[in-house]
This record gives sequence, structure tokens and C-alpha cells, in this order.
Amino acid sequence: MKKKLHFSKALKLCFILSLLFVLCCQAAFAQSNITGTVSDKSGPLIGVGVQVKGGSESTVTDGKGAYTISAPGTSRAVLVFTYIGYNTQEIQVNNRSVVNVTMVESASDLSEVVVVGYGTQRKKDLTGAISVVKPADLQKKQGTTVAESLQGLATGIRVRGGGQPGSEAQIQIRGLKNMGTIGGTNPLYVVDGLITTANRDFNPADIESIQILKDASAAAIYGSRAGNGVIIITTKKGSEGPMKIEFTGKTGIQTIPRYDLAETEEFSRINFMAYDNADLTRQKLDLNNNTDWQDVAFRTGNIQDYNLSFTGGSKDASYYVSGGYFGNKGTVISTDFDRVSFRVNTKGTRGIFTIGDNLAISNAKANEMSGNPIVDIFRMLPTIPVYDASHPGGYGYGDEAKARTFGTNPLAIANLEDRTNENLRIRGNLYAELQLLKSLKYRGSIGYETSRDHYKYLKKDGFWTLNQAYDPAILNENRGESSTVLAENTLTFNEKFGKHGVTVIGGQSYQKDKFGIIRGTKRNILQNLTTGHYYDVLNQGNEPQTSGERTRVDLISYFGRLEYNYADKYLLNAIVRYDGSSRLSKNEKFDSFPSVSAAWRVSEEGFFESSWINDLKIRASYGTLGTGNIGPYDYISFINTFPTVVFGPNQTVQPGGIQVQLANNDLRWEKLQQQNYGFDAAFLNNKLSVTAEYFIAKTEDVLLQYPIPLSTGNDGGNPYVNGATLGNRGFEFTATYAENAADFKYNITANLTTLNNKVQDLGYGKNKTFVGNTVTEAGNPIGMWYVLQTDGLFQNLDEVNSYKNSKGQVIQSGAKPGDIRFRDNNDDGQISNDDKVIVGSPWADYELGLNFGASYKGFEFNMDWFGSFGAKVFNGPRSVMDNFSDNSNYRKGVQPWTTENPNTDIPRAFYGSTINARGDTDRWLENGSFARMKYIGISYNIPSSALKRIGFSTTRLTLSGQNLITITKYTGLDPEFNNASIFEKGFDFGAFPNLRTVSLGLNFGF
Amino acid sequence: MKKITSKILILASLILMSSCKKDLLDQDSPNTLTVDQFWKTENDAKRGINAAYAMFYQNGGWNRWIYFRLDLTSDEGWSNSPWTELGDWTRFQYINYNFWEGNVNTYRDTYKAIFRCNQVLTYVPEIPFADEKNRTQILAQAKFLRGFYYYYAAILWENFPIVTTLQKPTDLPARSTLADVWAQVEKDLKEASADLPEQWTGAELGRATKGAAQAMLGKALIQQHKWAEAKTAFDYLVTGAGKGYYDLVAFKDNFRADNENNKESVFEIQFSDANKTGEGDGPSSNMGSNRGQFFAPRSIGWSDGQARNWLVAEFKKEKTLANKIDERLRYTLFYPGLEADFGDKIYGKSWEWNADEAWFKKYSRDYMRNNEDYFSQVNNRVIRYADVLLMYAEVLNELGQTADAYQYVNRVRTRANMAALGTAYPGIGTNKDLFRERLKIERSLELCGESVRWADLKRWGDLDTKAAVDKVALRDPDFKNFVVGKHIRLPLPQNEVDNNTNLEQNPNY
Repeated sequence: MKKKLHFSKALKLCFILSLLFVLCCQAAFAQSNITGTVSDKSGPLIGVGVQVKGGSESTVTDGKGAYTISAPGTSRAVLVFTYIGYNTQEIQVNNRSVVNVTMVESASDLSEVVVVGYGTQRKKDLTGAISVVKPADLQKKQGTTVAESLQGLATGIRVRGGGQPGSEAQIQIRGLKNMGTIGGTNPLYVVDGLITTANRDFNPADIESIQILKDASAAAIYGSRAGNGVIIITTKKGSEGPMKIEFTGKTGIQTIPRYDLAETEEFSRINFMAYDNADLTRQKLDLNNNTDWQDVAFRTGNIQDYNLSFTGGSKDASYYVSGGYFGNKGTVISTDFDRVSFRVNTKGTRGIFTIGDNLAISNAKANEMSGNPIVDIFRMLPTIPVYDASHPGGYGYGDEAKARTFGTNPLAIANLEDRTNENLRIRGNLYAELQLLKSLKYRGSIGYETSRDHYKYLKKDGFWTLNQAYDPAILNENRGESSTVLAENTLTFNEKFGKHGVTVIGGQSYQKDKFGIIRGTKRNILQNLTTGHYYDVLNQGNEPQTSGERTRVDLISYFGRLEYNYADKYLLNAIVRYDGSSRLSKNEKFDSFPSVSAAWRVSEEGFFESSWINDLKIRASYGTLGTGNIGPYDYISFINTFPTVVFGPNQTVQPGGIQVQLANNDLRWEKLQQQNYGFDAAFLNNKLSVTAEYFIAKTEDVLLQYPIPLSTGNDGGNPYVNGATLGNRGFEFTATYAENAADFKYNITANLTTLNNKVQDLGYGKNKTFVGNTVTEAGNPIGMWYVLQTDGLFQNLDEVNSYKNSKGQVIQSGAKPGDIRFRDNNDDGQISNDDKVIVGSPWADYELGLNFGASYKGFEFNMDWFGSFGAKVFNGPRSVMDNFSDNSNYRKGVQPWTTENPNTDIPRAFYGSTINARGDTDRWLENGSFARMKYIGISYNIPSSALKRIGFSTTRLTLSGQNLITITKYTGLDPEFNNASIFEKGFDFGAFPNLRTVSLGLNFGF
Repeated sequence: MKKITSKILILASLILMSSCKKDLLDQDSPNTLTVDQFWKTENDAKRGINAAYAMFYQNGGWNRWIYFRLDLTSDEGWSNSPWTELGDWTRFQYINYNFWEGNVNTYRDTYKAIFRCNQVLTYVPEIPFADEKNRTQILAQAKFLRGFYYYYAAILWENFPIVTTLQKPTDLPARSTLADVWAQVEKDLKEASADLPEQWTGAELGRATKGAAQAMLGKALIQQHKWAEAKTAFDYLVTGAGKGYYDLVAFKDNFRADNENNKESVFEIQFSDANKTGEGDGPSSNMGSNRGQFFAPRSIGWSDGQARNWLVAEFKKEKTLANKIDERLRYTLFYPGLEADFGDKIYGKSWEWNADEAWFKKYSRDYMRNNEDYFSQVNNRVIRYADVLLMYAEVLNELGQTADAYQYVNRVRTRANMAALGTAYPGIGTNKDLFRERLKIERSLELCGESVRWADLKRWGDLDTKAAVDKVALRDPDFKNFVVGKHIRLPLPQNEVDNNTNLEQNPNY
């Protein structure tokens, strides 16, 4: 058994070469051959060992799962199929020339093949921290982007955002390791070897495999761009056999979470109270109206996702062709998104030469949200009617006498503003491989990606808010064009010397990114007064404004990896990448990023005897990654030539020119050093598998736009500086228990991520920096809450007068009963900024994912939970609704302090003063912990016996739901929100919430 | 066949590799010049100084927010904005010192303007000029503008850290006292005055002149009660070499887009509606003023600021020689009786607001349209000759030359068809205090809504004692919130204090 395993492992190391290798074998042993395909339930298996029992011939399956083996005396021959993680099968040939085999998984998944960048490794041979996500787990969810669907499926990743039609979620791997704003903290996406983004125009249905490279050793092959981690996606390929056609369709409805808001009776009661307390004349609220602005702005959305794919191939060629449509009617009025995508992946081989391509074309169009309805639904008062004929344009909005609010009527702005954002993207690569020697392969690849973007904005004649400035109809149209060219050459050497397995990869890469945009705006756009239609072309209108710019970025890289394997027991990986980027300063363009990692497969040792531990590997890695995610020219000081000024009797426009934004001219690579320690183990006949990792990361020379003094006169954004050192430590744990033996199969996976980020030092030699209500200082995590502390309410004047500091000074002498008592932390007898203290962290202590799956005969059940615990978050919307100083709607049931109702934590309602309503207090901080059922689904596979009659091979029906249950104390719409500001991650400004989705899916293939 | 293919591929890859020259990484921006490539020609120098003038078009300054500090904070104006925090900043309720619209934006834009002046002053001396006079005039304009911005910084924050050199991101300027700032203002304006031309003509009309520098200098000196020096500064415009350039024109011509840069204009911000876009440093940014949109009555503009109604009564206390209402009221305020008194509607509307309200009319465009927007082309006459004459009278009075001061007040009164001061108020005589008290009223009638009142109140000491403030509070109840010794100056932005360890927050904040 050991010998067989050993043999197949050796071959598997060469599996990139397998197709050619097999062809060579074929030439060498041209005898009576048996061919066939080895697959499992999800498709062909690559690298399965095939051996003639008792004989010497052996081979492995190729990239399509196909094998050819020469067998003497075919009638009696028995073929043995071995593959790690699968049960070994012995099959009698019985004079057949074609033997197809379906392998059955053993419980452990340790033997998956993992794409690690410029090559593959078996998961059991990994020495770094790599999460592999099963594409089925991802594709069962309904998400616009890959990132959105990854939440809870792997350790060490944090996903936030999405929700709006066409919006893209943010993903963070292993914490905040840098502070980039360009490209954010998003990881590097590598799709079929092409460095790109898996954004909204990428169809997740085409994914064949997805892996997340988390630590330095795993990601180092991508060197300078891997600082935020790498997500490698491989799209589906064809396999040998007749054409297979597969259809998947999903349709569903989406609803948006809503606030419980006051209606007119309750609103007017509190509003009058707020005016009375301030000694002001009440507004003449129109009590006949009772508008539910959530009904106006929100609706039930829907999704439709259809994909059709065709796969097949011959011995020498394969194809995968797919088409998809994704449509999303938004839960906010006048928003939608649709995407049409096509993909063709083909591959052909002749002799030692292989050529292939991956090509995807997609067109995505979003009808974008105007204004911010998520906030306007409570900034608008229930006493305002939706329509008001007395206003130009006919919509209801604030009124100086009746409803003083600057809230925007969401229906008015939705109808009066049209924003669409559309892009056509072509993404593909062409590659050729040459098996120069049995152990040496050359691969050349040219990748190209381009996106043609079209943004259009039309503002029609009309008003949506109180006292709005008059503007005529305005049209703004922008067209952008981006392109990436990636040329890569690699040589792979792979050989086994006795027990020593060696793989060496060397390569070179050149990437060029270009972007250009032109913009045009005109005013007074022509309208057909009979129909109301606007001729929204830039030929119409007057007062034209145009602008445009271009950028270009070049990146040159050289890289190499050594993989060494001794008897499958000792594994060593060493990687170095040398990167040069045009983004960095003249003398700082190149740097090298090395890493080394090792693993010891303890369970392969002779001394290791355990009946209950089936597999045990311990591993460690250390490496350096880089980040240069800044703008193309950030190290250069530029002259801004845009300022103009008029002089003279005719107000002649004269040009200006001046430096507006400062630049640091010595920008260099940001460097992440990471150590990772982990183990993988399988227990109880591989039913239980456990992976645990501990990592220590330190990012030095963090490139960030560190706030600089206003006295510099800088504007246009703080200049980038290599200005901070951040530390991240974290623990990640995954355990899976799977029982696949009986009819009732089930598996449970739990994953746990803890993360502790700490600022070690800050830019320009500073100790701390303040942004909004946060302070970032050395020794603490980024963006700690720094606010005044409230200490309940004053119940009576005695309490006000007796609230003194140590010197006996009355601290809040002007306060009235019902006002907030603040803590005078510096004991100076007054409440000021100096009393602010750190009161909490916006970061979660730990995040948990729980995935449960079960099947019984044709039925399958899946459920994913995700939870985040310990973060303190700022509820921005509540700071508007509960503040009473400004007119906006109130939360239903809110109980402001009154003499009759003193048992409340809400201060007295007081219009027109921020004294009780100030935003920089702990009053608005809440416990941001939550647990959420991200997914629940049940599906039924129609038995194949029934299907055969109608010619179908598989048919599955799925009913699923997303985000249906959320357990949290947070009073905002959604605790799982995103804020783009590094320093204010925990500030919910009224972010678009995650939606509840219920969908029905149908898959069939024939 | 295989060999050929492989040869082609190897060749192709070698070409690819060799094409990766390292100089590909030296990508210059295709979009604009670098700082190193600029500041080479006279034209660059002119573009530089133009960009300094362009700061007038940005939100923190004379495009928008500074009017909230100068007009609304004073007893002439107030805010009834539904935007509570915006209103709080006009009534001495400064809670969050980092409030962008109330404090930080203006503070930041002041430094942006200073940065632009400092660039001109640093680079232009190195540029070869065919005519040396062009250089000195550009440098003098930069000094004028820097002095101008430091003047308002002294008025608003007082202890405003002085920056006269190009700053690196690491630089943390030291603390400055009010006296330091005044010294800088005087130095800049004196140096500017020495080299500025007496007049600009043609397409350059509107740039800073010697008279503008002298008037700004005078304004800075009277704030410090340096009366004798102030007289010297104003002499140029009133009795000296420059007096021929200045005169009074029809009152309304000071506030409209017609008759701009007239003889009454001493320094004028040139606004234009050529670019109906947002403000900032983007292509074709707005060169207009937002004041009208923010100050127009409710349902016409945002109405975030309006005038105090006591001014109407003050205007009506004294009739003209023709026994009519002072016509300056007609062009100064929108008030309930405007249509009855003068037959004027307000943006085409009859009065529909409360009987105790009023709005600022100067620089509004109701004479030409029924609404406002963000692109007002009406120039702001930051210093006009009537102001200079009244300041000159004030200086003479403080110097004990009260009798001599009458003639300058009378020039202003005569234009409004008011009786001579001595005739109308015979009791004043040469009593310095009575004259000063009357001058305060004369200034508000003539200059109301022209952003001088806050400095006036400070200079007169009306904000220095509780008793004085109580009197102001009778006109403007916002002053009930005023704490003597604290609200006389704005807090520095808290983030600036926290991030620059050399600074201290202003007293009592």
C-alpha cells in the first residue's frame, strides 16, 4: 500500500506535465492499451494512480482524468486506482478496452490538489497557510461577487458589504495589514493565471476551484502584490468525452431590513416636546399625512441567475463554453443590475506542445442608487406627503413652516436623477506549453484584460429637498478604458531522485496597466415638453465642460520556487520574487520578497503508530511580502493647472498653476513579514480533520495617507508615506467531521478566527492620530473609539448642582433635568475634548463560521452560520434619529426623558441644540456582535433511474435562503456593515444592509 | 515541426524578456507638469499668482463659509438653519472643534492660500524675467494675499501659527500669538505696498493695488489700536498720492454684477459664473460665489444665514434730506416692508416670511433673477472706499482729531442724501466717545452685511466685558451664549492641536 501511494505521489508531483507525460508513455509502451476516465461525483480526477495489479506498469490520470495503461493478458488483469483521500478501488478489466471509474471520497480532504501560483501542489504537501473553498459551497449562495459568497467559508477572511445591485463586497485576509485606499485592502485575485479582480462582471458560476493563500510562504510567489493575500481562481475546463450540457437556474426574491419608525401621532408628540423644551414655537406639522418613507423607497427585489455550459473534448483537445445571465432588481426603487457573460476555455495538444486559452466576455450594467435612501427614510418626516403639487416638480419634501428637514424625497431623487454605470470586460489569456524534456516544461502565457466603462448621469428639472438650489437639466457622460497586459514565462523542472522529490520553477513576468477616461457635462438638456423625455446626448444643452486623464503602471518581476520532498515526510518550499514597480520612487522601485516554509509529516514516520490519528503534519513558514498599492504617480510632486481666475472688465479667464498636493518623493515598498505555524491532522479513519494555524505578522513601512497638519496647506488627500508599523497576530482553527459511510451522510465544519491588530508606530514619528471619533496610537489597535463618556441623566436640579469635581466646581452648571451627565475625566470642572477617553475597540475578538451539511438518498441539506463577536460599533443612523436637536423621524417607542417618564436612558427632547445630541459620545456606541445564518438550503436530486428515460443525467432542485436569521443586540439595520475608512471601520454611517434572499434553483445536465 | 514550434516559442519568450527594460518603470504622468518642470518662465510665475487668487473661489473662504464667521457670528446676522450644528457655530455653541463647515474648512483653506503665496515667494525669485517690474509685482501680490489671509486668521483664531516657508509633511509649526500674526500681516502688506502698482488696467483689472495694500494695512493697524500708524496707512487713499483713484459711486453699484471694479472699489474679489461646476482644484472649477444660495430667504436659497431685524429700525430712525427712508436700506436688506417702502419684491415674491425677519440683500441677484444658485458672478467688494473713509474718520477721532473726522463721515452720508453729521446730531460735537458711538451706527448702516462687523465689534471692545456683551445681546440674543475671554476667537481645529504637539488650544476651549 505504501509503495503504491509513494509511486502515485511521485507522479502527482509532475501532474502539470501529465498530459504530455502520458503521451510519451503511450509512445513507449504501444501495446494493447486500456483507456478510461477517472472521476468523482463532481468531475474528472487529476493524478489518480493507476497500476496493473502485480505488474510493473503504472500511470496517473491526466488533466482530464483520462489514463491509458498497457496491460498484459487483458482478460484477467486487475487495475488498481489509488488517490489520496479516496477509497482505493480494484477493478477487473474483463476484456474491456475502456474502463471508467468513479472514485468515492474517504472522509478527509487532505489530498485535494491546490493551485499555488505558477503550479499546483497536493494539499497534503502544503507547507503554507492555504484555505481551499469548495466551489459548490460558494456557488450555492447567491452573490454578485465571489467575495460576497466567501463569508464564513474559510478562516482568516473578513467580508463586508455588497447588498446594493452591482455593489462589490470588500474582503480582508488576516486582518488589516496595511492602510491602502487605492485598491483598498482587497487581496490579489489570480484568475487562470491572470492577475485581475473578481469583480461584479466575473461570473462565479464558471469557478472550478478557489484557494486563498494567506501566509507569506504561500503567497510569496506573487511577491509584491500578495501583501493582502491572494485568491486564486481556476475556471472550469472541458474533459474527454461527448458533450455534456449543464444548466443551472436560480430565481429568488430579496427583501431589505427595515427600521421601526414613528408614525405621525408619535412623531408629532415628540417633535412638539422638543420644540416646547427649547422654548420655540412648534412647527405647523401636517398631521393629516402619515407617510411611511420605507414603503416609498424600498421594495421587494428579485434575482435571476441562469447559466448554461457545454463541456467535452477528445484525447487531444477539450473545451468549456458557458453563457450566463444574472439579473438583480434592487430592493431600493430605481436600482438594478444585470450581467451577461460568456466564457470559452479550450486546450489542444500535439506531441510535446500544448496550447490553450481562457476567454471571458461580460457586460455588466448597474442602474445606481441616487441620494442615500437608507438615511433619507428617517431624515424625511412622516408628516411630509410623497407628492406636493405646490413644489416645482411635484414632490413632497421639507418645508420651512411645516416640516424643517433637509432630507431628500427618495422617490423624487430616484425619478429626477438617472445614473447608470455599464462596462464591457474582456478577460483572457493564451498559453502554450512545451514539454522540453521529460522533467522540464516551458510555459508561456499572454494575458489581456480590458474594460470599457460608460457612466451616464442625467439630472432632470425638479426639486427633491427643501431650499434646493435651482439647476437646469444636466447630463454628464464619462467613458473610461482600462487594459492590462500580462506576459509570463516559466520553466518547471520536476524530478524524483530516489526518495528525493524536487520541483523547481523559475519565471519572469511583465505587466502593464493602462487607464484612460474622458468626461463631458452639459447643462440645459433639451426636453420634449409633450412627452417629458430628455434627449440625453451631449449634442444637446450648453455650457460644456470636459475633462480627461490617463495613467499607466508597469511591473517587472522575476521569481522562483523550490519544492523539496523527502519520502513525503519532510517538505520544504523556498520562494523568492524580485519585483519592480513604476509606482515607487526612482531608487526604490525594485525589491525582493523571499520566503521559506517547511512541513513534517509526522504520520509518515515509522515510529508513529496511532490507531486513531490517520494523518498528522506540522508546518512552519516565514516570509516577506510586499505591497505597493498606491496611485501610479504618488511619489511625484505635481503642478495642478486647473485653478483659473478672472480679471478685467470682461472677466477674462486666466490660467493658474500651483502645487496643491504634497508628495513624499521617497516612497518604497511596504513589507509584510509573516510567520505561520500550523498543523493538519486527520483522526478517526479520516472522519475528523483539523487544521490550526497561528500567525504573527508585522507590516513595516506601511504606505498610508497619514494625516498631516492643515498648516502645510496640503489638499487633494494626504500624501502617501511609508509611515507606520502594524502588527497582526491571529489564530485560525478549522475542524471538519464527516460521516459518509451510511445512507445518511453528514458533515460539520466549524472555523474560528481570532485577530489582534496593534499599531507599533505611526507616521512622521507621531504618537497618535485622531480621525473622527477615533484615535490610533502605538500600542493599540487602529481606530479605537475615543469619545466622551456619558453617565446617565440628571433627574433633578439637585443632581446637577451636586455634580462637582474634586475642587467642588459644578461641572455642568447649565444642565437641566433630563440632560446627559458626562464624565469629567480630567477633573477640571468642565466638559471638553480633554475628557475624551478610549472606550472600546471596533474590532471583533473572534469570528466564527459554522457549516453543516447532510444528505439522505436524494435529499441534501446545507446551512452556514457566521458570527462576529466583541466589536464595538458606532450607530450613525441612531445618532440622527435619537438626537431630537434636528428634525428627522424617531425610532418607534423611543422614550425621551420627561418628569413623568424619568426611567429612561434617552435625554429630554430638545430642538435646535447639539448639547444633548453631540456625536462624540459613547451614547451611540453599541455592541456589534452578531450571529447570522448566512445560508440555508435544501435540495433534492431526482433519482437517475427516473432521469435516464428523458435523457437527463442529473437534475437537482434547491430551495435556499440567505441572511434569514440574525441574532444581535445592534439596533441598526445590519451589524455586518462596511466602512471604507481604515480609521473608522466600526462606524456605521447608514451603510447598505445585507439583504434577505429566498431563492429556488434548478440544475440539470444531459 | 516540434522543433520549429519550440524554437519560435523560445525566441518569442526571449524577446519578451528582453523587452522588459527597467526604464519601463520610469513612467511620467501624461497628465501634467511636475513641480521640478514648473517655475521656469514668467508665464509660470503668473500662473502661480493666479492660482493664489483662485483661492477666493474655495468653500472655506470667500466662496462660502467665511461669511458665516464674519457676518452671521456678528450681531448683524444669525442662523435659523435646520442644520443645527451649522447654526450652533453662529451662536457660540462650539461643541465639536473639528466641525468642517464651521471651522476646519476655513482654517484649511487659509493655509492652502498661504501655501500658494509661499510657493510664489519661494520660486519666483529664481525665475529669469525680461522686465524685473513684472517679478516684483507678482511677488508683491503674493505678499498682499498672504497678508490678507493672515489678517482674517488674526480676526478669527488670533493665535494662528505662522507659516512663511514651504512645508514638508513632517513640519510642525510653532505656536504663534496674536501679536506675532499682526506683525506678519504688517510686514507682508508693507512690502506688498512698496511694489504694487497704483492701478491695474485692461485684462489685469482686479488684481491687488497699492491702495488695496494700504487699506488692508490700515485695517490691521486699527485692530491693534495703532491709530497713528493706521492714519499713515490710510493717508495714501484719502489725502495722499492715491486719493485721485478713489471716489464714491451710486450705492447700489457696489453690490451688483454691473459696474464692477468701479472707483469705489479698493479691493474686489472677481467672481464669474463661467464654470457652473463644483468648487475645488478640478478642471473648470466654479469661480462663482455660493453666498446668495446660502443667504437667500427660505424657499429661494438654503437660508442658512439671515440678517437681524434690528437693522431695519436703525435705518428708519433717520430720514433723508428729502424726508424719505434711507435708500441704503433698499439695497441692504430684504425685510417685511421692502415692497411697501420702495416697491421692490423679493426675487419676484411679496413678503411671505415672519414679520420679525430679514435677510441680507447685498450681492444677491434678486435684481436680475428669481432664484439663486452656487455660481453667483457678483464681485465681492471686500474693501470699498466708503469703508476706508469711515475707518479714517475713526482713526482721526481716536487720535483726538474729531473735528477733522466729520468730513469723511459726511462724504458717506451725503451720498445717501443724509444731512451732515453735525447737523443731524449736533450733540456729538468733538466728544470722542459720542462720535465713536455714532460712527458705530454709521458703519452698520453703510456696511451691514459686508463682512466687517465682527472685526468692528472686536476693535471697539464690545466683546471684552460682560456688560458690553450684554448690550450687544440686546440686538442679537445669540450673544447670551458668549463667554468673555473665550468666544472672542474660534477654537483651533482639535485635530490640528492633537496632531501638532507644538500647539496649544486657544484659551478656555
